Amino acid sequence: MTASMEFFKADVIVVGAGGAGLRAAIAVAESDPSLVVALLSKVYPMRSHTVSAEGGAAGVTRDDDSLDEHFHDTVAGGDWLCDQDVVDYFVAHCTGELVQLEHWGCPWSRKPDGHVNVRAFGGMKIERTWFAADVTGFHMLHTLFQTSTKYPSIRRFDEYFCSDLLVEDGRCQGVVAIEIATGNFVTLQAGAVVMATGGAGRVFRENTNGGIVTGDGMALAYRHGVPLCDMEFVQYHPTCMLGTGLLFTEACRGEGGFLLNKDGYRYLQDYGLGPASPEPRNKAMELGPRDRLSQAFWHEQKKGRTLATSRGEAVQLDLRHLGAKKLHERLPLICELAKDHLGIDPAQATIPVRPAVHYTMGGIRVDINAASQMPGLYAAGECASNGIHGANRLGSNSLVETLVFGKVAGLQAAAFSKTASLAPESTIRKQAADAQARALRLVTDPGKGDRVAALRGEMAQTMEDGCGIYRIGAELQSTCDKLADLKERYARVRVDDASNNWNTAWLLGLELGYQLDVAQAMAHSAMERRESRGSHQRLDGFTERDDSQYLRHTLAHHQAGGPPRIDYCPVTITRSPPGVRAYGAAGEAEEQKEQKVSGE
Amino acid sequence: MNVRRPYVRRMEPGWWWKNAFLLRYMIREMTSLLVAVYAFVLLAGVFALSRGDAAYRQWLDVMANPWSVAFHGLLLAVFLYHSWSWFEIMPKTLPQIRLGGRRLPAAAITWGGLAATVACCGILLGGTLWLTR
Amino acid sequence: MKLEVMRYLPESDPEPRHQVYEVPYSDTGSVLEALQYIKDELDPTLSFRWSCRMAICGSCGMNINGVPRLACRTFLREYFPGPVRIDALAHFPVERDLVISAADFIAKLESIKPYIIPRVERDVSEGEYLQTPLELEKFNQFTKCINCMLCYAACPQYGIDPAFLGPGVIALAHRYNADSRDGAAEERMGQLHAEEGLWSCTAVGYCSEVCPKDVDPANAVNQNKMASALDYFLRFVKPGDKS
Repeated sequence: MTASMEFFKADVIVVGAGGAGLRAAIAVAESDPSLVVALLSKVYPMRSHTVSAEGGAAGVTRDDDSLDEHFHDTVAGGDWLCDQDVVDYFVAHCTGELVQLEHWGCPWSRKPDGHVNVRAFGGMKIERTWFAADVTGFHMLHTLFQTSTKYPSIRRFDEYFCSDLLVEDGRCQGVVAIEIATGNFVTLQAGAVVMATGGAGRVFRENTNGGIVTGDGMALAYRHGVPLCDMEFVQYHPTCMLGTGLLFTEACRGEGGFLLNKDGYRYLQDYGLGPASPEPRNKAMELGPRDRLSQAFWHEQKKGRTLATSRGEAVQLDLRHLGAKKLHERLPLICELAKDHLGIDPAQATIPVRPAVHYTMGGIRVDINAASQMPGLYAAGECASNGIHGANRLGSNSLVETLVFGKVAGLQAAAFSKTASLAPESTIRKQAADAQARALRLVTDPGKGDRVAALRGEMAQTMEDGCGIYRIGAELQSTCDKLADLKERYARVRVDDASNNWNTAWLLGLELGYQLDVAQAMAHSAMERRESRGSHQRLDGFTERDDSQYLRHTLAHHQAGGPPRIDYCPVTITRSPPGVRAYGAAGEAEEQKEQKVSGE
Repeated sequence: MNVRRPYVRRMEPGWWWKNAFLLRYMIREMTSLLVAVYAFVLLAGVFALSRGDAAYRQWLDVMANPWSVAFHGLLLAVFLYHSWSWFEIMPKTLPQIRLGGRRLPAAAITWGGLAATVACCGILLGGTLWLTR
Repeated sequence: MKLEVMRYLPESDPEPRHQVYEVPYSDTGSVLEALQYIKDELDPTLSFRWSCRMAICGSCGMNINGVPRLACRTFLREYFPGPVRIDALAHFPVERDLVISAADFIAKLESIKPYIIPRVERDVSEGEYLQTPLELEKFNQFTKCINCMLCYAACPQYGIDPAFLGPGVIALAHRYNADSRDGAAEERMGQLHAEEGLWSCTAVGYCSEVCPKDVDPANAVNQNKMASALDYFLRFVKPGDKS
């Protein structure tokens, strides 16, 4: 393999061209057209995983709704592990960003009077989810991508794979990337870099994520000393197709779908989410938060009340009572998926579903300005952890997060870049050459050990076994041990392809390296959090939330040749002290109690 | 420096032969040649008429030849298919049409267009017969 | 089940060839899963694009038994007992194996100004533009394009002359032209009037047939021919208006 190195200078580099990356790039271009933005992505922008988001994006619009309500839903939904100053900023900017997207052409679903329509969503007390049929992420992504073509200062590097960050003087000053079509390298230098590379759900076996969701940006920042925050919090989506992990959107339940066990019983009423009313009620039953619903599945399975199918245990998603007309109008994608993959017409039969990994709440630790602790390095979207999701993300908060904080990251990076001095090109070139050699090692000096696919399969299985919906210390320990073993074997991994053009075997090898680092951060963070909170639930004597010890963010620090070092940083609490996180009738009672207290 | 070597595939000469949809398209296109041929036949008739009675009768005799009748039978079949193919793609050529708030389905446009044409032909034929009775 | 997969390694193959792989059959298994099986278990050198697995990212378009389809939404059961022939998406240059070059499509997409050029400027603080469900309906179907490019592989005119703007991009131009918020239809129509615009289309209609999202690009192209023709003739009728 022979690979050359080109050099490109920009003002801001954005890695990843999904919702957050495109929004960041547009923000830079709009703030100052003279700034050159290099927008780098390993796939064409409209292939980014934002495209798969179905349900919607939250923004307060109704007269009976308020920013306070959105704030409280988010903070309680996150089991008080949210940074409340950031949540305040977030909820205040959601609607404006969604309107901005409307101005850019996003085909939001409308009310008869022409205003944007909103729908109910899990964990949200009042309807505030903007949606575009059941392909909201798709429409947001295409709107952003097409709008981005308006700005000549955005120079896209489509199908370039980011292989390393360039850090000089303690500042992030660029990236090294591989042009996938040729295997040539390019060095990009800039005053600031925005990471917008998305999540890491593919480290688990059962997941809803696209093949590209491999935690690249998280791992790159982490390897350069930036801590990964709250990585133990991994969201399961309760209604996924067995085997493939494909998602049946939460909107199915927002529209009034039921979850039944094998006896046709709406089992969620047994898990503090009842009472079971025939009409959907916000924050109750099927519209409870995702972590609770996924946990209820686990219990039903243990009780033997789930349905055995050829692809594993399942509960039933029942949409039959909604009728064919409403289903085809409001949930066309779901009808299509069920018919094509399972041969099921949701108007006639129930759909077997189970929880699968959906979202990583954790990520690169950044502040309210999307800035990481490394000057010049910013992060937004799923790869970042700015503290708005806490221990569990509410559905429809993440799509709008990509906009709100994508913009923040872009503006902050642009401002930083204007004042940042650049290291001499020769220094950067030297660093880039080393990075190039490291990335090429997989193909120029391939190991004789395991195949990439074999290691990847073992990693996904051990994460599923030890780091799933419920966690037990001993199982977590064996997952940690297994990951250490896999990392050691990865050093001798075999890549059976030394060609230059479109060498995807090589890229899968590099991605596996990223995934193993991220998986380790997850497992070790989970190991050390000896309590149960939000999506992190333990069964080994730590079944309760422990605010005295763990009302803190976990920080995982990379250590070369060993497991991560775990420490903690405080959670910012401004106006909502930790309370009881209750849903259904219990939630309403809790709310009344609170109102009484505040009224006194 | 690695280079790309994208391979450009040429379309095979029989590209339309292997795919039923494209085959039907090509039949539609080829029938238009026969439509043109018939236009020339008619044009020849008009030209003969302009040259006087004898020429026109001669043209009519040629038309009455059994081979010519068979040819016209073929032309009729071709015409019917060609016309049908146009009504078939008519929905693709029109903007959305709404009736009572609902979008008119493609089949309704096709059959509606066809019905209108049959009606027009009927009126024309009826009118001609009435005028020449 | 046997899969005959197109292979083209630009560094060693003078031209594409086919390689046969035996994959396990299941009646819910997709062609994409079969390719992934090949990549993971049989031959890591096989390259193809994929990501979402749910027919929305538009990556995995390929010609399956000669028909342009998304591999994730095509099932082995449709071809039982096989074999199935899998080619790179027709009409596009092959970069390697099943990976084609999308550069031409992307350049065309960017060329038609695929963004709102507002009819009336409005500030974000003034809230959203009002748009009734009926106004949305006028263009909504054309927003559903996932840029999978199957329609280009289906279009013989694009195969014959790659300068043709093509179904997907014309549908996208129409999407913005038909949007009540947009006021730049005339700007875009200039390009559509051109020889390589609408008039390269001979109404084959196969593009709409293969579209996995029911966008019906043939409708977008052909309904504009009327406007384009009218525009052309009106220029003769109205001698004063030659601008």
